[in-house]
This record gives sequence, C-alpha cells and structure tokens, in this order.
Amino acid sequence: MRSFARFFSSVKLAIVLFILVTLASILGTLIPQGRSPAEYVARYGGLSGVFTALQLTRLYSSVWYLALVFLFALNTAVCTVTRFGTKWRKSFGPAVATDAQALQGHKVKGRFRLPPPLEAAEDRVRGALRSRGYRVEKAGSGGTLTLLGRKRRLGRFGSDVVHLGLLVILAGGLTSTLAGKRSNIALREGESADVPGAAFAVRLDRFETEYYPRGGVKDWKSTVTVVEDGAPVLTRVVEVNHPLTYRGFAFYQSSYGRDWQRSTLVLEVRKRADAAFSRTVTLEVGDKVAFDDAEVTHVSVRQFVPDFMLGEGNRVQNRSQEPNNPAALVEAWKGESRVHMGWVFAKYPDFGQGHAEGRSPLVFVLKTYAAGNYSVLEAAKDPGAGFVWAGSVLITLGFFLAFYWPPREVRVVLEEAQGRIDVAAAGEAAKGREAFRKEFDRIFDDLRRPS
Amino acid sequence: MNESSLFSAAFALYAGALVVYFAALFARREGWGRGGLILAVIGLSFHTAALILRTAASGHAPFTNMYESLSFLSWALVLVLIIFGRGARVPALAPYLMLIVVALVALASSPLMPKDVTPLVPALQSYWLWLHVSVTLVGEAFFAVAFVAGLLYLTAGTEEKKEKLDALAYRAVAVGFPLFTLGGLVFGMVWAYRAWGRYWAWDPKEVWSLITWFVFALYLHTRIVMGWKGKRSAIVAIAGFLAALFTYFGVNYLLSGLHSYV
Ligand code: HEM
Repeated sequence: MRSFARFFSSVKLAIVLFILVTLASILGTLIPQGRSPAEYVARYGGLSGVFTALQLTRLYSSVWYLALVFLFALNTAVCTVTRFGTKWRKSFGPAVATDAQALQGHKVKGRFRLPPPLEAAEDRVRGALRSRGYRVEKAGSGGTLTLLGRKRRLGRFGSDVVHLGLLVILAGGLTSTLAGKRSNIALREGESADVPGAAFAVRLDRFETEYYPRGGVKDWKSTVTVVEDGAPVLTRVVEVNHPLTYRGFAFYQSSYGRDWQRSTLVLEVRKRADAAFSRTVTLEVGDKVAFDDAEVTHVSVRQFVPDFMLGEGNRVQNRSQEPNNPAALVEAWKGESRVHMGWVFAKYPDFGQGHAEGRSPLVFVLKTYAAGNYSVLEAAKDPGAGFVWAGSVLITLGFFLAFYWPPREVRVVLEEAQGRIDVAAAGEAAKGREAFRKEFDRIFDDLRRPS
Repeated sequence: MNESSLFSAAFALYAGALVVYFAALFARREGWGRGGLILAVIGLSFHTAALILRTAASGHAPFTNMYESLSFLSWALVLVLIIFGRGARVPALAPYLMLIVVALVALASSPLMPKDVTPLVPALQSYWLWLHVSVTLVGEAFFAVAFVAGLLYLTAGTEEKKEKLDALAYRAVAVGFPLFTLGGLVFGMVWAYRAWGRYWAWDPKEVWSLITWFVFALYLHTRIVMGWKGKRSAIVAIAGFLAALFTYFGVNYLLSGLHSYV
C-alpha cells in the first residue's frame, strides 16, 4: 500500500505520463480514426492489420489509451491527496515557536530593535502586518515570542483546485460515455416520433432552409413540438447553435434532406384531340386523385426521380439527389382500366410523350415539383456535461489561485534582552518574490521608524 | 480609407517598427526603441480600425477564415508586445516579436489568403465564436512571447540576461496558459456542446489543442516540482508554442476534421 502510494504520488510518473499521453494523442491525429476497414487497407496495405489489432484506428477509445488516462487520473489524485495535509498545516495550522537563529536561512530577512516593553513591540509588529493584510498568530511564551503572519492562504491550493477540476472533468467524460444517450430522429414535416429512452415524443411542424441573398445556407430551422401523453407541451424553433432542451434531453439540428419520394407535383393535363383543353392537378407521389372527366376518372404518379437517367437494359435510374432532370411516371385511369402511362420530364416537356404506352389520348406536362423536407434531430441526454462545466469552473478558479494569489508568510521573533527588544524577521513567498521583498522592506521600514 | 488600405498601412507601420527595433538592438541604442514602439502603436490603431471596419461590413466576428484569424492573431501579438513587453526590460523581445507579427501580416496579405467577406455558415453563428477564438488567440500571443523568450534564452550570453528571460517566459505562460485553457478548451467545449450536442469529439484540432495544453502543463510541472529552469524549461516552452502553431495552421492544411473553416 505504501509503495503503491509512493509510486503514484511521484511527479516523475506524471512527467512520463504527460509525455506518453501526448505522443499517443499525436499518433491518433496522424492515423485517421474510425474509418472503414477497406479504407485502411487502401491506405496502409499490410500494416492495416497491425493497426487494427493495436486499436490504432479507434485510438482514443482503445484499452491502452484509456488505461493511460486512468493512470494519469490516479496519479493526479494520489499526488494531490498525499501533499494536501502538509499544505493545509502550512496554511492553516497553528504558529510554531521558533528562534532568531532559525530565521537566518531565509533569503528575505531583517533584524532590528524596538523599545520595550515586549507587549508594545508585539502590538506594533501585529499592527504593521495586519495593515498589509496579514493574519497574525502567536506562539511561544516568556521573553521570546514568535509571530506568524500569513496572507492569501488559499493560494497554496490553486494546484489542488486545478487537479480536482481535472478529475471532475474526467469523471464527466466517463459519465457521458457510460450513461449518455444519443439518437437521431429523422422526421418529415407533420410527423412525430417517440424519443428513445424518454416518455415523450417530438413532432416536426415545419422545416426550412434559409439562404443568404447571394447564395449559401444561412440557417436550418426546425419547428419542433414536444408531445407528452398525446398533448403538445411546447413548441420551439431548433437551429444550429440553438438546441431545444426538455427533461434532460437536448435536441440539436443535426442534418436535413429533401425527400423526393414525397414530392408534391403539379401536372398539366391536355388532350390530343382537344387543343383548348387544359387542367392542372396537384398530387403527391403515390397518390391517385380523382379527375372529373368523361375520358379520365383518376390520375396517379407512380414514381418520381429528381435526376433521371437510363441505365443498363434501359432501366430507369436516379443519378443524384439534385433536380437535374426531374421526371415523373404518370398514369391516367378510366375506371379500372389504365388509359395512359408514361414519363414526363420537367425540362423536356416534348420528350417522352411519344413513348407513352399505347396510343394515349392525353398529354402531361410537369409544371412544378417540390420535394418534401425532412429534418434530422439529434436527441441527446448527456449527464456528464454538468461535471465538465463544474470541472472547468474549478480549473479556471484554480489557475487564478495558483498564478495570481500567491501565499505569503512572515515570521517575526521578538526577544527581550537587556532592556530592549531584538526583532528578527524573515519571509517567504511561493511566487512574485520581487514584489514580496518590496512589501517586506516596507513593513520593516515602518517598524523601524520611531513612532 | 477602406479596410484593405488600413490593413496595408498597419503592415507598413509594423515593418517600419521592425526596422527601427532592430536598428536599436544592433546599435545598442535603447532610446531608439521608443521610435519602434510609437510606430507599433500607430500601426495598431490602423489595424484596429481595419478590424472594426471588417466586422461592420461582414456583421460577424473578424476571424472566420485564415486571413481574418491571421489578422486578429497579429493584432493580439502587437497588443501583447506593447502592454506586456514594456515591463519585461528585455530589449530583444520587441524586435523578434515584431518579426513574427510582420511574418503573419505578410502571410495574411499574400494572395494565398482569400480576403472576401463571406457569410457565416450556420455552425459559426454564435457569440461563442467571439469568446472561443479571441481568447484562444490572445492566449497564443502570450505563448509566442514565451517562445521568443525561450529562443533568446538559448542564445543569451550573460547569466543576468538568462535569468530575466527565464522569468519572462514563465510570466508569459502564467498568462497564456489560463487564457488558452479557458478560450481553447473550455469555451470550445461549451460551443461544441451548443452546436453539436457533444463537448468533445476527438477532432484533430481538439486533440492538438489538448497536446498544446499538455506541453505547457509539462512546462509548469517540471519547473515547480522538479526544479527545471533555464535551458530545459526554454526548450519545453518553445515546443509548446510550436504545438500551438501546429494546432493553428498544420491541422487545417495537413489533417482533416470538423474545424475546417479556419
Ligand atoms: C494536465 C493535467 C494537469 C494540470 C493542468 C495541472 C495543473 C497544475 C497547475 C496549474 C499547478 C500549479 C503550477 C504553478 O503554481 O506554477 C500544478 C501543480 C502541481 N501539480 Fe499539476 N496538473 C496536472 C496534472 C498533474 C499530475 C498528473 C500530477 C501528478 C503527480 C500533478 C502534480 C502536481 C504537483 C505536485 C504540483 C505542485 C504544486 C503544489 O504542490 O502546489 N499535476 N498543477
């Protein structure tokens, strides 16, 4: 147990761990992380097997990296705890009697005399120290007194506060990994879905993409309603950088897309035999809508592709999700019998008419098409985040204490001898020695000056 | 005057300051250093005006592409040089810092850096952009001071100079490290959490910030608990700044990840 503590309280170990974690972290930025096996084979050939076996392809969650982080945390904890007692006594423990001889070893020191009696000299020293913000304690008795003045005593604990903050952040990371929940919810406008792991659902009321006047996406906005027990609870607009939070879950605008399978189309219907005939129908892909006419009772759209092309064997394919060549496969019915079926092209209205099956009496024109929108929300419950913020506050506070609140300590020994008081003083400061020396000199200039 | 002519004027003034500073250094005329300082201050005011104009024109923080962030970093460096450098009593500090400033401004002015004002992609539309980038870059400006002090230490002749340089590097780290931690790591995590719902994603830029942080933590610990001072400390400080520089430039051009904007 003792040797365990000694090993883990060693700062040398910390130095070694700092270097190891740094090197490992660098390695993880040189090897792309979390790609597909095929990509690694293409990149590294025969080495890819070795990389995978050593978990270098998901290095930051590898057993050995986590083990390093764990050792690091243990080292920090043990190191901090084992030094804490001594530091505490130094800052808050009682004053210990000392003598003038013992003060000679300090760099900042001084000697002078004060007039008797001892009590008056003590009061003067106390007053001078207090006026500079020192808290004074007394030790010793009889003709020799030790006064111990300390200030900014918390400054000694800056490093401990930083280390504690670091451990709290690591605990937060662990909590996030073990207890965090994350899921993507893809919703079309009007759809709702249960949030996995929660007792409520979310509904997408509206999704829109805003553009800058000169192009480029300005924002993605999902209007989302939280539905609990079938009743809407609240409605918010979720944007990038503006998540919605509800009952420990946060909903982020994660992704979006156009759902061409849910496009809304406007078709113009004409008749070959009647040049004056023109009517429009609005319908969604898959709909079959009534068309009040002697020759046509229904119109339907079987398929829609935004970027039509003919592949091998003249099979219809969709080349991309961009509306480069939007085309709809339109059918028309008279009762149960199909009187028309053919592709209609938004950009080539004349093309395809001749290809309609049989000898159709109808001509269709694809006037407009609008894709349905879907939005992907990321639902996240991250109970570790709070730890991370708390740890960050601690680290910031600790830095302040460590760098800008340096503790100072002054010891003054008062000795009664032959009708006068010999005063020996010495001080130490962890940081800012120059400033401290100035303060020290000023205090003792004040004391030496006859009052 | 428009933004680009203000920026060019600042560039010219910094270049003038550089010449004067080095002349003062090599001619051992400390008094001339004041001339360098005056040019630097005037340059900084032109530079500040350029940044303000750009912010007004774009309607967003002036560090959303490489040109803007180089401009802001060099601005922060001049500011640190003027404020921090005065108390340092190290005559060589200002000339070499100004050399870095002029190099950064030259790089920003080069045709390699597109200077168009571009609208912000949704992920960057956040006040955390201000906090995250400005605090981080000011922290890095202090690391640059530690870097210059470290290099000067390695070439310094006398013990007295060495002692001053060692103390200067430490003081710069004592300011830069908390700022970098707060801006680079803490504000970065908060922003990532707001934008993407995760505070840490092991993106290469994040990892390199962490690496930079480790190097400066190493600097502090070897000093305070192992008593390292002087040469070894100087080398760690230099390594720390190089890590920061790689986080800033290298990651964008050599590695790929989320932080592909700047
Ligand atoms: C990245 C992680 C760490 C950070 C950010 C950190 C931060 C700090 C800071 C800011 C100080 C004060 C330095 C100064 O006053 O100049 C300090 C001191 C110290 N640290 Fe760390 N530390 C870390 C890890 C560790 C580890 C792993 C150990 C394990 C041994 C350790 C042991 C110490 C010790 C012994 C001190 C001495 C200061 C004192 O006793 O007050 N630190 N640390």
